[in-house]
Amino acid sequence: MTASALMQILASGLLMGLIYGMVAVGLSLIFGLMDVVNFAHGEFMMLAMYATFGCFVFFHIDPVLALPLVAAVMFIFGASVYVGVVRHALRVKVNAGMVQIFATFGLATLIQGAAQFFFTPDYRNIGDNGWLGGKTLELGGLFLPLPQVFGAVVSLIAFGGLYLLMKHSDFGRALEATREDKGAVALVGIDSNRVFALGWGMGAALVGVAGAVLSTFYYIHPQVGAAFGTIAYITVALGGFGSVFGAFAAGIVVGLVEALTAVVLPPAMKSMGIYVLYLAIIFLRPQGLFGRL
Amino acid sequence: MKRRQVLLGAGAAAVLQGAWTEALAQGKEVVVGAIYPLTGSSAQVGIDAKQAFETALDIINNASALDLPTARNAGLANLGGAKVRVVYADHQADPQKGRSEAERLITQDGVCAIVGCYHSSVSTTVSATCERYGVPFVCADSSSPSLSRRNLKFFFRTAAHDEMFSEAMFDFMDALKAKGQKIGSVGLFYEDTIFGTDSSTVQRKLATDRGYKIACDIKYRNNSPSLTAEVQQIKNANPDVLMPSSYTTDAILLTNTMASLGYKPRNIVAQAAGFVEKPALDAVGDKLVGMISRASFSEDMGEKRASAKAVNAMFKAKAGRDMNDQTSRQFSALMVLAEAIDRAGSVDPRKIRDALAATDIPGEKTIMPWSRVKFDATGQNTFANPVLIQWTKGRFVTVYPFEVATAKLAWPMNA
Repeated sequence: MTASALMQILASGLLMGLIYGMVAVGLSLIFGLMDVVNFAHGEFMMLAMYATFGCFVFFHIDPVLALPLVAAVMFIFGASVYVGVVRHALRVKVNAGMVQIFATFGLATLIQGAAQFFFTPDYRNIGDNGWLGGKTLELGGLFLPLPQVFGAVVSLIAFGGLYLLMKHSDFGRALEATREDKGAVALVGIDSNRVFALGWGMGAALVGVAGAVLSTFYYIHPQVGAAFGTIAYITVALGGFGSVFGAFAAGIVVGLVEALTAVVLPPAMKSMGIYVLYLAIIFLRPQGLFGRL
Repeated sequence: MKRRQVLLGAGAAAVLQGAWTEALAQGKEVVVGAIYPLTGSSAQVGIDAKQAFETALDIINNASALDLPTARNAGLANLGGAKVRVVYADHQADPQKGRSEAERLITQDGVCAIVGCYHSSVSTTVSATCERYGVPFVCADSSSPSLSRRNLKFFFRTAAHDEMFSEAMFDFMDALKAKGQKIGSVGLFYEDTIFGTDSSTVQRKLATDRGYKIACDIKYRNNSPSLTAEVQQIKNANPDVLMPSSYTTDAILLTNTMASLGYKPRNIVAQAAGFVEKPALDAVGDKLVGMISRASFSEDMGEKRASAKAVNAMFKAKAGRDMNDQTSRQFSALMVLAEAIDRAGSVDPRKIRDALAATDIPGEKTIMPWSRVKFDATGQNTFANPVLIQWTKGRFVTVYPFEVATAKLAWPMNA
């Protein structure tokens, strides 16, 4: 393994890691807010990918421009999922945990089935037809695919924006307060239902941005959520459930570990590095790198 | 006996009689099971398979002028014109689901034979279940050599397996070397289920036996979100011929990743699967011009087999795409099975098994380049000669064996 090849693997791992972080952060946000794990997270991403693809095919809007549009649509979708499904699941008096799990799990199955029915299981691809597709930045022997560079930049902007929003806006403070004590915020006049709905909207919008970015270089398929969903759960557990910065850092760690494991071990076992890390975290620091329990 | 009872009895008898004659008029029904991935990441394969079987049923159940077995008359002649019906089951690429679906089809739907299953890993469990119940399993499109090496009495494979396919690939490379091309090394790249590992075992052995250097030997996890590190290893090794064994998702990702890392493989000789699937070719076909794949079928087969053209047209009308390597094998498997059931003159699975074992169909009566259909003791059709096809702009052409080639070979793929 030459030094330049190693650099290439590290660079690719870093780029993918930033995208993993963006896929995962919505999940972390929702969990942090209300202790609900959204098992349909990967399916949200898949829908966003199809939305981007639809914009491209029917309205000739390039994914780069469609990105804010898709995020807005996903925001509305996420908020409606809260209002239409999760809110009811939260109201149950017995077995609340199970009901929440099955509500989002059922939603995932429904979305997958509907996607296969309406979009057919054919593989879709924007690929080279988009502005970024197939273009590569070459820096002294280092190949950086432009779609992934774009994804990494969007990820940095998204995390930056999210940080500002969480720390320096009323909404961010309301979010933080609701998460600390749902009863107390109701007393000071914050409608927790509204905050939750906005939280779900934001979570979905963030994974929507990730989906739009991914659709510039990844295939689109009703099952595509599964591959990224698993990585999102590991990333969130590693970074700490509920921690936005944790998702960012853990995304990068997962990307790098995955890329490096493929160098050390046979590539068939490359996910093993991530799982080993995951287990180590569970045993040694169950709250995750940046989580609070 | 009161008058009312007599009337009732007579009425019931009349109804039964009516039902019976109706059943006779319709002819008996022959129920065959087909286990394919109808949902999950390979769902499109199953959906296409369904269209291939429906095309075969159109020919079997209706009178047709095509020169194929059981085509001439409607239904199966020796079973009084009985119609064949296919019951579909979904295995989602999961061997355990395949096993339980096979059991359900046999015990509840009473199928007299099963066709399947695309994924070699699933065909393994399904054929074992069939063996236990004594029901014939016709393997249409799984190509792992180990499938026919388990001394199963009820296993029949109409198409070639990867050893025959890989042998054709190395024969082809040997022939090129004899013509003065320089081919020193091969690169193996394969997914981590039975299809990829079996394929690589054969290729590794053939490469060593015939003096090709193995520049890289990479087993990767299927359905990975990224293949960057793997492609980097191929790029470093830069083999003269890259030999991938991948399903659709990985074929797309591999091709895209190679392009984004600025790597142009000198040549690709693929173990079909994902590389001949329409979705992959639609997505990344422009980056694969010059790729060679093993095949059982290609669109230009119509130039050699008269019925292939007509069957492809029938299939295209249903599925909206040309027949490919997979769908042609699925179609052929059901035709061979129907011919055996007809010859057995019975829906008894054991009689069908014996009829299959005695099958001998000349190649002209198929749509494939096979010289005939005749099973050896292991249930393998040893006359299923493979061909190699090359992807040119928008279509496949046959390039090997040279005597049946329909186009001139372009070599190397990327200079």
